[in-house]
Amino acid sequence: MDVIPQLVASTLLLGGLYALIAVGLTLIFGVMRVVNFAYGEFLMLAMYLAFFAFSRLALDPYVTLVLALPVFFAAGMASYHVVMRPVIRASHNVQVFTTVGLSIALQNVALVLWTADARTVRTEYYATTVRIGGAALNFAQIVAFVVAVACTAALFAFMRWSYTGKVMRATAQDRQASSLMGIDTDRVYALTWAVGIVCVGVAGVLLAPVYPVYPTAGLQFVLIAFVAVVLGGLGDMAGALIAAVIVAAVEVVGSYVLGTAWKEVLYLMLFIGILVVRPAGLFGQRGAEALGT
Amino acid sequence: MSARAPAVVFFALAGLAPLVVRDAFLLDSLVLILLWGSAAAAWNVAGGYAGQISLGHSAFFGLGAYGAAVLGARYGVSPWIGLLVGAAIATVIGLVIGYLSNRLRGPYFVLATIAVSQVLLLGASRWRGFTAGSEGIPVPFRAGFWTLGIADKRIWVWIILTLAVLVYLVQVYLERSRRGFQLAAVREDEDAALSLGVPARWLKVAAIATSAALTAMTGALWAQYVGFVDPFYVFSVDISIRFALGAILGGLGTALGPFLGAMLVTTVETYLRAQFGGIGAGFVGIYLILYGVALIVMVRFAPQGIVGWVGDRFRRRAEVAGSPAAPPVSRS
Repeated sequence: MDVIPQLVASTLLLGGLYALIAVGLTLIFGVMRVVNFAYGEFLMLAMYLAFFAFSRLALDPYVTLVLALPVFFAAGMASYHVVMRPVIRASHNVQVFTTVGLSIALQNVALVLWTADARTVRTEYYATTVRIGGAALNFAQIVAFVVAVACTAALFAFMRWSYTGKVMRATAQDRQASSLMGIDTDRVYALTWAVGIVCVGVAGVLLAPVYPVYPTAGLQFVLIAFVAVVLGGLGDMAGALIAAVIVAAVEVVGSYVLGTAWKEVLYLMLFIGILVVRPAGLFGQRGAEALGT
Repeated sequence: MSARAPAVVFFALAGLAPLVVRDAFLLDSLVLILLWGSAAAAWNVAGGYAGQISLGHSAFFGLGAYGAAVLGARYGVSPWIGLLVGAAIATVIGLVIGYLSNRLRGPYFVLATIAVSQVLLLGASRWRGFTAGSEGIPVPFRAGFWTLGIADKRIWVWIILTLAVLVYLVQVYLERSRRGFQLAAVREDEDAALSLGVPARWLKVAAIATSAALTAMTGALWAQYVGFVDPFYVFSVDISIRFALGAILGGLGTALGPFLGAMLVTTVETYLRAQFGGIGAGFVGIYLILYGVALIVMVRFAPQGIVGWVGDRFRRRAEVAGSPAAPPVSRS
């Protein structure tokens, strides 16, 4: 088997998923100027949703996917109104600790309810591989990739052409001015937060047939998402998309060359390097990191 | 009565307790309160006084723990030397992070600190040849003060108390000295401070490096006291949050606050472990849920922490009595 096509294919598959996770995170930052440290926990909850729907109700994860949309939209709305709304105009530090607090609480609610055991969704297509060109690809990963790319594209179209998307972008550009133009920024924030959570919810369900789920499962993915988001420039959705593929490439090629043990070190070093050299991200403008402080 | 009286009483009680208390459990709790208090206070030097919020302080804690444990286990070096080596390495990394902090504000700085601690975690857990990898390192017990092989918990209370007082005094220095005032100015408005000729960058770097060194010392003593270093614990984001939580609960930028915060956290944790620990493995997370909720509630309703809250009450009473009001506790 040829190595190059396999590496390219794996990079694309992984990159598509990372992109969906990263786009939701960067959307929330771009519009609300909040770094959501609890983001990974929603991914974990979505994986649990897929697991329980599969084991208790015998629902295929791809059916759960449809279910996940309203569930995570509601979860996003609820968490925004209960936790985030009171601190939306507070300092960065207050917001950081609020989302960190939410993250710890959710993680441990999962731990108490469902124990620390790693659980897997064993569908019958669990080990099915598809050969495309010279590469052997996991079926679930292909589906995840296709759905993730479709969702990301839909989100881009939504932001670009819908009225609500325009309102969101206006709020991202200037909170005060958009408020003066009669935009209900509070509603925009709630919606943004919820849409971001839906992105990660969909990603979580898609990941369930591929990765095991446990209470801290979100951490590894959210770290990757943070790397992609910062690399692309916090708040820059197109940047996050490209960066997600770069991070996937680093991970895939890195594990091939160095072995899987060191791949995380590799992308974290990349992350720190980017922060040192170009804190605003690869495509960001200088000084963007200080926006909103 | 001096404003320092509560702290004097706190440390005096901690120092005298071993003379009266014989119960190993209570002494152990006291050691842990002082340890976590010192770590929270060390975090406070950067997070509270300099306003550089880090969620990667476990990097320094772990470096201290590993410094003492690896040198002791591999080369038979005294943990006191290991403590200094760990603190020295942490200072260097603190200098680098501090230098970065000038370019990275707000959430970027938080992310950078998390990344550094994660890199160290992965390094320590994967570099099997040097750190024994993910199994962790047991700290060899060699009796004697020089090797810190001490079974008597009363001695431990006094050792950790010395560290606690040291960290406390560093904080008092930041409240009283010219440097401390300058640092507060940088925290409140960096541009304004710069325009007045305050060396903002140098001060932030120095504060973070000091905080790093003190955190590493806490880590080294913690490792010697507990007797085992687990990379997934000492470098975890969880304990970074624990330091921050102690300082926030007690009062950001107050000298005694982190110790009070750590006392609250440690007591509640011990109590809940005793209450729920036996029922089932699933209950181990209960106190962590409370951690999370406490964090959300505190930063929203009482961002000035215990010390700030109590201080407010006192001040109000003092104003009623006609005496001049004390200067407000600064917060970031």
